[in-house]
Amino acid sequence: MNFRFDLIAEYAPFFLQGTLLTIGLSLAGILIGTVLGLFIGLGKIVQNKLIAFPFTLYITFFRGTPLLVQIFLVHFGLVPFLFGETNAILAGIVALSLNSAAYIAEIFRAGIQSIDRGQMEAARSLGMSNVQAMRHVILPQAFKRMIPPLGNEFIVLLKDSSLLAVITAPEIMYWGRAMAGQYYKVWEPYLTAAFIYLILTISLTFVLNRLERRLKTD
Amino acid sequence: MIKVENLKKSFGDNEVLKDINLSIEPQEVVVVIGPSGSGKSTLLRCINLLESITDGHILIEGTDITDKKNDINKMRQEVGMVFQHFNLFPHKTVIQNLMLAPTKVRKVSAEAARNKGIELLRKVGLEEKADAYPSSLSGGQKQRVAIARALAMEPKIMLFDEPTSALDPEVVGEVLEVMKQLAKEGMTMVVVTHEMGFAREVGDRVIFMDGGYIVEENEPKQLFESPQQERTKAFLSKVL
Ligand SMILES: Nc1ncnc2c1ncn2[C@@H]1O[C@H](COP(=O)(O)OP(=O)(O)OP(=O)(O)O)[C@@H](O)[C@H]1O
Ligand SMILES: [Mg+2]
Repeated sequence: MNFRFDLIAEYAPFFLQGTLLTIGLSLAGILIGTVLGLFIGLGKIVQNKLIAFPFTLYITFFRGTPLLVQIFLVHFGLVPFLFGETNAILAGIVALSLNSAAYIAEIFRAGIQSIDRGQMEAARSLGMSNVQAMRHVILPQAFKRMIPPLGNEFIVLLKDSSLLAVITAPEIMYWGRAMAGQYYKVWEPYLTAAFIYLILTISLTFVLNRLERRLKTD
Repeated sequence: MIKVENLKKSFGDNEVLKDINLSIEPQEVVVVIGPSGSGKSTLLRCINLLESITDGHILIEGTDITDKKNDINKMRQEVGMVFQHFNLFPHKTVIQNLMLAPTKVRKVSAEAARNKGIELLRKVGLEEKADAYPSSLSGGQKQRVAIARALAMEPKIMLFDEPTSALDPEVVGEVLEVMKQLAKEGMTMVVVTHEMGFAREVGDRVIFMDGGYIVEENEPKQLFESPQQERTKAFLSKVL
């Protein structure tokens, strides 16, 4: 087999662009997803079942259906409906955010509920309102515990963003497919893509491990 | 000061408090004793509205705290609570534990809250631990901080739910000492405890609970030396 490094070199600028977009898409997805997820997670744990219901429904839908289906719904349905025309990058960010929000909501819920009940009771017994107790006592402790699973979610999201190639968002995998189509090659484009993803996930894991260790020693 | 009228509390089908009537005078120290599961904690938690009550009324200085119109948070500020497991905030230092509620709830300035906090820590003998995190303290120290934290809100009443039960025997004394001091200063206190020595020495009145009822109440000396009810006798014979 004749592995054509020269073709990879030729495509390197595109892969670089794609890598930046992949990072951008997953970063946007995790950040927006975290904000939405906090809101949805809090919504799910309120006592009032009627208020909690739509949040539970949201989580069930986005965790129970394939991301690819969600991407199509957003790209061909939601985004054109809202903006009149579609846009792959915008649709990508929306789909990744909505999807990760569901998983992050569960991470928040678990994090909040893992805090000993006595903490809430102590805060309330001091006269703090529910919101004050959440904000100053429960959430700061819960956030610490949420960092490892949030990191995991980030890695999953980064890998799953490759699905956006099918709606032609020019991220890593899009350029892999473009290269494969142009040269009728399999190994060069897809191994390159795999290699880039691997570098990204390994670096991210490294950063997250360090962060975790730092937090543990505080 | 506190008036409990026909208080009932159920968890599902389980009626834990059946008909509690109780009146606590200002500066009085009431000790609550009774077997496990008799509803002692539930009674305290109802007084602090940590549990919703099923029926009856609780009045604090004439205000019905069970009335939905009254602000629960406002009510709770007047009632301090000390828990068996301390429940200190582990992500905050000792002084921050003391400052949090006064600054956020009473809107006291940080400086005033700190000064007050240091003063309270001095009182419980832990001034030098102000900047330590709770995880570095012994059980007895944690509980003293928890008492100081409750006092920082300047409550009118302090509730203690088995404050020494989770402690090693050798540090029980230092916590009881702080509580004694507090009683001497005239704090109104309701104390659930198994420390009969404390009940005898500090208590103005001892209440014996069993099966969701107040079975008997009296001055400590009378209750311990000549209990009237069979159930009280049976219980005391086991713990004294
Ligand atoms: N949140 C709850 N949900 C359901 N049942 C409860 C709850 N809290 C307490 N109970 C029940 O209420 C009863 C009284 O409990 P409580 O904690 O008031 O007893 P206690 O007198 O404080 O006992 P102990 O000496 O063991 O602390 C028990 O049977 C307990 O199982
Ligand atoms: Mg109890």
